[in-house]
Amino acid sequence: MNCEVCQLKELEVEPFEICEVLRCILHTIVFHRALGLIRPKDIDLELFEITYVQCGEIEVEKKIDEKIEQFINWIEKHPNKKSQICLSFYEVKSKQPSWFTKIERLYWEQWYINLNVLQPTKSLIGKSHHSKLVMDPGEASEERSSRRTLLEQSLQEVLFQIIKFVNEKKDHVPPINDGVIYYPFEITIPSSSDSAFGMDMIKRMLHSGHPSMLN
Amino acid sequence: MDFPENLPSSDTGRLEQIVSHFFPKALHIVLNSRIPSLQSRGRTRERFSGLNVRKSDKWFNLVMGDRPAALEKLHSWHRNVLDSMIIDIILVHPISSNNNLDDDDDDHGNSIVRSAETVIERWVVQYENPLIMSPQSSDSSTRYQKVYKKSIILLRSLYSQTRLLPAYRVSRQLSSSLASSGYDLIYKVSSFSDIFSGPVTETMKEFRFAPVEVPPGRLSASVTYRSDLSDFNLGVHITLPPRIITDYVGSPATDPMRFFPSPGKSVEGTSFPVRAGRPPLTGSSAERPHSWTSGFHRPPAQFATPNQSFSPAHSHQFSPGLHDFHWSRTDAFGDNHQLSPPFSPSCSPSTPRYISGSNSPQINVRPGTAPVTIPSSATFNRYVSSNFSEPSRNPLPPFSPKSTRRSPSSQDSFPGIALYKSSRSGESPSGLMNQYPAQKLSKDSKYDSGRFSGLLSSSGSPRFGFSRSPSRLSSQDDLDDPDCSCPFDFDDVDESGLQYSQSLDRRKTSSSISQSLPIGRKSQDAAVGVLVHMLKTAPPLRQDSSTYMASMSGIQREGSVSVSVSGTESEYSMAQKHIRCTRGAEKLQAAQRLTSRQIQEWIWSNSCPLSQTKE
Repeated sequence: MNCEVCQLKELEVEPFEICEVLRCILHTIVFHRALGLIRPKDIDLELFEITYVQCGEIEVEKKIDEKIEQFINWIEKHPNKKSQICLSFYEVKSKQPSWFTKIERLYWEQWYINLNVLQPTKSLIGKSHHSKLVMDPGEASEERSSRRTLLEQSLQEVLFQIIKFVNEKKDHVPPINDGVIYYPFEITIPSSSDSAFGMDMIKRMLHSGHPSMLN
Repeated sequence: MDFPENLPSSDTGRLEQIVSHFFPKALHIVLNSRIPSLQSRGRTRERFSGLNVRKSDKWFNLVMGDRPAALEKLHSWHRNVLDSMIIDIILVHPISSNNNLDDDDDDHGNSIVRSAETVIERWVVQYENPLIMSPQSSDSSTRYQKVYKKSIILLRSLYSQTRLLPAYRVSRQLSSSLASSGYDLIYKVSSFSDIFSGPVTETMKEFRFAPVEVPPGRLSASVTYRSDLSDFNLGVHITLPPRIITDYVGSPATDPMRFFPSPGKSVEGTSFPVRAGRPPLTGSSAERPHSWTSGFHRPPAQFATPNQSFSPAHSHQFSPGLHDFHWSRTDAFGDNHQLSPPFSPSCSPSTPRYISGSNSPQINVRPGTAPVTIPSSATFNRYVSSNFSEPSRNPLPPFSPKSTRRSPSSQDSFPGIALYKSSRSGESPSGLMNQYPAQKLSKDSKYDSGRFSGLLSSSGSPRFGFSRSPSRLSSQDDLDDPDCSCPFDFDDVDESGLQYSQSLDRRKTSSSISQSLPIGRKSQDAAVGVLVHMLKTAPPLRQDSSTYMASMSGIQREGSVSVSVSGTESEYSMAQKHIRCTRGAEKLQAAQRLTSRQIQEWIWSNSCPLSQTKE
């Protein structure tokens, strides 16, 4: 079984927008992969005029919120960086029990959410220093609102992208097991080390190619 | 794989079931997200266990809630799976007719705004049965499971897509705003549809869902939609965000002595819609005679929470744009499709947002006005403008205490606030007032009542509300004053009369006033009520004889009052001049210049039968 990979369009977000944007994207993806009996839940974003759908499972909500929190903490330590969050769906294949239990995860789908987190205050200060002008509050708010509008459009495009992808590729989706609401998944965020990005990529390549025990 | 129903024995049967259930599910998803009246209600967010879900709702593992009856009918209509199911989502919107004013005006000379219907979305679901059957790659035992899984994914993506397209926001706006101001979303389901015209297709985009192979054919879905709905000016007329009216004019209830500006100010926004396709009432009121009832043009912001109790169906926030109830427009009453002011004020559940607990903070008390106690704004919520009758009938604000008493005949009058939720497409859950458009017009005697009863509110809870809404709206009176009754009812008058007599005794006037009051005309009683209130709150006497209380005369419909005046002749003549010359709002203006003490003087002097007036 091959692993389908989807790279989502990069989004420029400010730190306070991360939570909403990530929740929106992650839940939308999981909703299309929660093929058990669910009652969908419509959620309106507060920052944008967008409504997304959650599968309604509390465990999913918790898991996603935890990861978002970790990511935000990481962003605070590594500001102004491009980062990637990976949502991977896997199948659990347990091998024959031997002297140690080996649980294999077979990844069949991976989604890469690309974020470029901007620090607005620093960028504004940078601008004002550069231009030796006092930043006009009106200009700043105008800039912010136009950036917000752009982000809203981009976020909608990302959601469209997700819908398109789930529509086009269905064959690789494993069969639905009885009683299982959603396919097991994991969310990988950049780790604390500086070379985390590269290491993460290598890790993922290893995982997708060679199922092995994960941390 | 959990199939919601018992599996047919054959694989073919199962596949057929998938196809046959796919259509109603897709229909349910689309209409649920577009048509407010068809949205599943009563869905709680408690832990979803899946145990109490109907079998039919479990299809495709997507629990939507009970299907509205309208959808069930549609489902039974679509029996042949080979028929396409075309769902048109149509926006009903007003189109302004600027030309040919003569033709477009109704009898009252107001312009009629027509409405148009535009298809903003078209969903097509079909089961294509190609002649060439695709080779069956997998064995039949797992085939239906795979097919089912893929159809589940397809419906998931269809569900998400309905939330992403522009029509969803329109639907949300309309469902949250009871005043659609001429806008509505309706649907049409058919097997065949008109082809879109060329120019229309240019503005529309298409999205095709990937088909799911369901041997011997395949299920497909697509949507053609307008990506840009700005042409319809929806944002202007619907969802006006709740806002605080900073220049709130006030009302007679809160400031009886205050002058209310003429109704020339236009209030933006819309009134209640009675039916789809009708425009909002505009704020023009040029034909309105001046009267201090115009203050009612702006009350809504001040209406308190109790209003909510009025309408059970009222679970949404109101757009404050509704609050233009220009009851001066008689067409509002005569015209079925315009909600009249009677509906407006207390229909506003959004009002609590900015009134809650406030003591009419936004009322501007002009300097030099009579220092009367302004009752809390919560007391005003009863004073529904439903009592506004045709202004031409009663240009002056008469006090008609008698008619404020709830008579049985008034019970069946205009039931008050209407929450009209236009929906042609399905059931209308909220009880709607557009069925009562012009009833009250004929009951003018009842209209007289209580229109200015707001003026007469005592320092406590108002003793009477507008009788226009006797049974319904007045139920809100129960919130504050369970046995709300007109203070000028005979029983109450005695009480007020006693107060009069006590104060009058000090001035050595006849105590017969307490008897004379009920006998007097309606206007007298009404006048007395105002004055009673003021008496209670009157400051010490001031020797300011510049003006007299002309509002009392304004209250009197017919000028003559069988009262007498004591006091200086000059003062009295000045007062008489005022009385004769001023009208309506002007009277209020004059009244404002009086102090409450002067008013007392005037009342006493006018009430005393001993000294006669000199004309």
